[in-house]
Order: sequence, then C-alpha cells, then structure tokens
Amino acid sequence: MKGYVPLSLLIFLATSAALLTGQVDASPGVLWSGLVTGEGPGALILDTIRGPRVATALGAGAVLGMSGALFQMLFRNPLASPDILGFNAGAGLAIIAGIAFGIAMPTAVMAALGGVAMALVIGGLAFRGGGGTPVLTIILIGIGAGFTATAVSTFLMTILPGTTASEAQRWLTGSLAARDWSHAAQVLGIGAMLASLALGQARILSALELGDGLAAGLGQRPEAARWWLSATGVLLAATGVAVAGPVPFVALMAGPLGMRLTGALTSAGRMVSGAGAGALVLVLSDLLARVAVPGLQLPAGVATGLLGAPYLLWRLSREMERGDL
Amino acid sequence: MLRTEALSLSYDDVPVISDLDLELPCGRVTAIIGPNGCGKSTLLRALARLMPPASGRVTLNGEDINRIPPKRLARQLAILPQTLRAPDGIRVSDLVMRGRIPWRTFLSPWNEADKTACEAALEAVGMTGFADRELSELSGGQRQRAWLSLVLAQQTPCLLLDEPTTYLDLTHQMDVLALLRRQNRQSGQTIVSVLHDLNLAARYSDNLVLLANGQVVASGAPEQVLTPDNLLSAFDLEARVIPDPVTGTPMVVPLEPAEPVLSAGV
Repeated sequence: MKGYVPLSLLIFLATSAALLTGQVDASPGVLWSGLVTGEGPGALILDTIRGPRVATALGAGAVLGMSGALFQMLFRNPLASPDILGFNAGAGLAIIAGIAFGIAMPTAVMAALGGVAMALVIGGLAFRGGGGTPVLTIILIGIGAGFTATAVSTFLMTILPGTTASEAQRWLTGSLAARDWSHAAQVLGIGAMLASLALGQARILSALELGDGLAAGLGQRPEAARWWLSATGVLLAATGVAVAGPVPFVALMAGPLGMRLTGALTSAGRMVSGAGAGALVLVLSDLLARVAVPGLQLPAGVATGLLGAPYLLWRLSREMERGDL
Repeated sequence: MLRTEALSLSYDDVPVISDLDLELPCGRVTAIIGPNGCGKSTLLRALARLMPPASGRVTLNGEDINRIPPKRLARQLAILPQTLRAPDGIRVSDLVMRGRIPWRTFLSPWNEADKTACEAALEAVGMTGFADRELSELSGGQRQRAWLSLVLAQQTPCLLLDEPTTYLDLTHQMDVLALLRRQNRQSGQTIVSVLHDLNLAARYSDNLVLLANGQVVASGAPEQVLTPDNLLSAFDLEARVIPDPVTGTPMVVPLEPAEPVLSAGV
C-alpha cells in the first residue's frame, strides 16, 4: 500500500491545481469556504464551472488507464492499449454515427457497441485457425482499423449541420468542455462496476501472463478468459470515450507510468496503478489545454496528443532496440 | 495414477502418437525419452490436457481428464512447459504465489495454507533467500528453480515437466533432477518429465518410457529399457550399455558408426 502514496498525492495535487486554475483563478481559501458553506464563488467553481469537468476527467482517465494496463498485460506488449488497438476510435465512430443518423441511444451505449464491434472486427481479421496470431499483427490490424474508423467519422461529419459538426469535431479530438455532473456520475458509476469486474479477473490475468500452457495448468481456460478480459477492457475504454471522446494516448501511457510510480507488480496492483496514472494524465492534460494559450480553450486531446506522441515514438524505438519490433 | 487408453494425437491431421496405452506409476519418478520428433513432448502436453486427443483418452485415477473441471484438475496435476516467459520485473515471491491460483476462490483472502505452501516450495528449491529478487537478475539455474517453486506451490499429487533441463549446463541439469527426485522421495509426488539425456534420465528416474515414432518401444526400470536392442530400434544407434561407474545405473556408450553419417550422402 505504501507504494501508492506518491501517486495518490500527485492525483490530489493535480486535482487541486485543476480546480484552482482557469480563466478566473481561485484561491484555496475561496474553494474551501465554497466546499464548506456551499455558497460564494468557490461553490460556483466546484459545483458548476470546474468541479464536474475535473471529476469527469478523473473518471475517464481512470477507466482508460485501467483498460490500457489490462490490455498491456493481456497481450504482454506495452503498445497494446485500446487507443492504439483502435477500440477508442470505434467507440468514437459509433457516437458520431449516432448523432449523424439520429439514433436515440445514450452515448455510453453507443460507445460500448462501437468498441465491442471494433474488437470483433479486429479479432475476426486477426483470427487464424488454432490461434497464435502474433501480438504485433493484432496491433497493426488495430492501428489500421482505428484509422479507418477515424476516417469514416470525419466523413460522417461532413453530412452534419455546421454547428453540430464543429461540436462533434471538438469531441472527436477528446474534449472535457461543458461536462456536467451527469457525465461525471455516468463515468464514475459505470467505471466502478467495470473496474470491480476487471479486478475480479486479476488472478486469471496473472495466470495468463505466464503463457497459455502454464495458465491452463493453473486451471484456467486461456481462450475463453482472453475473450472475457478483452470485453471488460473494451467496455472500460468505451465508458471513458463516452464522456471524454477518444482522447489519444492516455491508455497507452497510463500502465507503464502507474507501474513506475507505484512499483506494483501484481495484476490487480498494475490495473489500479494504471487507473490512477490515467486519471492523473487526463486531469493534467485538460488543465494544460485550458491554460496553455490564454483566451483559447483547447480540447484535452490536443494536450494528451502532445504528451503521448513523443512517448509512443520513444516506446517504438525502445521496442526496436530490444528486437521486439 | 495417470494412464492413456488407445490415445492418438495429431497436429493438423498429421498423426504424432497412435493408439498408445501407457500407465505412469504413482509416486515414482518417470522420464519419457526418445529421439527428436518421437512425440514425447506432444504426449506430455496431452497428459496435461494442453492438447485434446484425436481419439482415445487420458485418465487420472480412472477419470477422463477432459471431463474434470479445470480448477479441480489443476489441484491434482501441475505442468511446467518447456518455454517459459515471465512478465517484466516479476520477483520470485510473486512467481511462486501464482502457483496458488488453483487453490484460491473468488475474493478469498491469501491464507495460512497458501503462505505455508509458498514457503515450503521456495525451501524445497533452495530459493528462500531469493524471494525478493527479480527473476531477470538470476542465473539460468536459479531461474529454473524459481519456476519449479511455482509448480511445487501448486501442491499437486502429480507433476509433469517438459524438458526441465534444457538450456542448463550439466551441473544445473543434475541439480534440477536431484531436486525433483528429492521432492518425490519426501512428498511422494508423482513426477513425469520429458528428458533428452539418456544417462541422466537413467540415473535420476525410477522408471523410463522410451518412445519412437509415436509408439512405446519399452517402459520399465532403466535397466530394462536402456538395452542395446532398444537403443538400436528407437534411435538407430549402435551402443554398448555398461553400469555407470558412480551409481551403477545403466550408461549408454555409443559405438563409432562404421561409416560416418555425414559422408553417407556424398
């Protein structure tokens, strides 16, 4: 448990900074009195202006981060995360399609359907009789499928009316603007359920990490277990996408960053660390996007992109050095 | 008691083992030996249910292993595959703990029995002092012992190992085999391994199964199995078998081939 102190502290500091900083900076005293009395500018910031947004960022970052850690362990590859594998783009496409064709379904449901459909498409394309598709092949298929989904989303936006299109464009980049408490409640509620589902499978995951032979020897059914874990991971990521858009690279970075910060080695510990690191990254990215250019609120996805792209390049070069690519 | 009944195994319709009836005695150390490609690893995989039979069946105490629920089977039968890959940064203590997975139920806390099993397993492989070390820091021999501690912590009456001595030098090969025999003598655990080295197999096993072309050429005590005739028919090898000067177990000394094999095709 001691290992989680620095990460928790960082999340607390980032959350505080995100609540204090903005177009109108608030002092800690103002926020505190707002929290205690429920009145004044502090309460307004906590209740309406920044509170829901930060809470949504924490929740979305956590589910994306946990999903990333889960897939990275499942595929035993640091590049295997729902954003790289195209699941986020699939979830995003489903939501845009929902707007474009006027499908009256909650975004969370559309995102889940899109993510699962994408996973099935990638699974189908990667399927080889008898299993044993190399992980890198799956990742490349995922990247290709992700690009396709993003292209279709962009195309769908051309048939949307102007204002809806620009809002959709913003959302597709990954944005936390104008989130209210219903978004926060949605991502935190569904996220908590899915997180317990994922943690319930932690032991299975730690057997699978040792390879299929040993996992079967330890009483698991590797094929079936992989499907269940994948489904849980896809739904986790889709829950985040439903409220924050397909923010890039949060899931990719969260697993290794969380592990670095907590030193966790067990499957459950790594999933929790990934969730914490995801929350940290998204809250900080959103803060960065809000304050980087005075007078202009960038979508959080721009900041995660700026942080994540160099990380991805570094990771790729490292994998190539190790001969894994 | 682990046995095969009219067991046939095949990869993509290419038969590897056909119609095999074999009985692996309880509480003994058995080595499965044979030339490359004779199907010994395939047989071991089928014994551990890692591979479904094309026909026939494998039974454990009379029960078809394909009908035993996976978790229950994992409490009776452990397997250590040949190629092992550990997650990055894993420590020995975490590795051995994973051997307890079949014994744990949903949300059950880590209990005294789990703790004792892990301590006993580390003790048995002489790795107690290495529990906090990262697996990647260890030497090849230590790493193999760490993996052995995982399957020992599983506390199964029967343990299967696929070439547990590959990649090890002679000293560490003997180290692993002696450890397995000691484990058998102390706990009565049935041990079945696939081995390459005939002389080491004879030295450390109670029972040998010699396979060739998917058939059992001979099985029984090492002296009965390692005979010049059996070696000729299984390995196409002319050899003398003399008592090992150290242990008295049979030792295979190949004769010079009359014609060097390499020049045969020239």
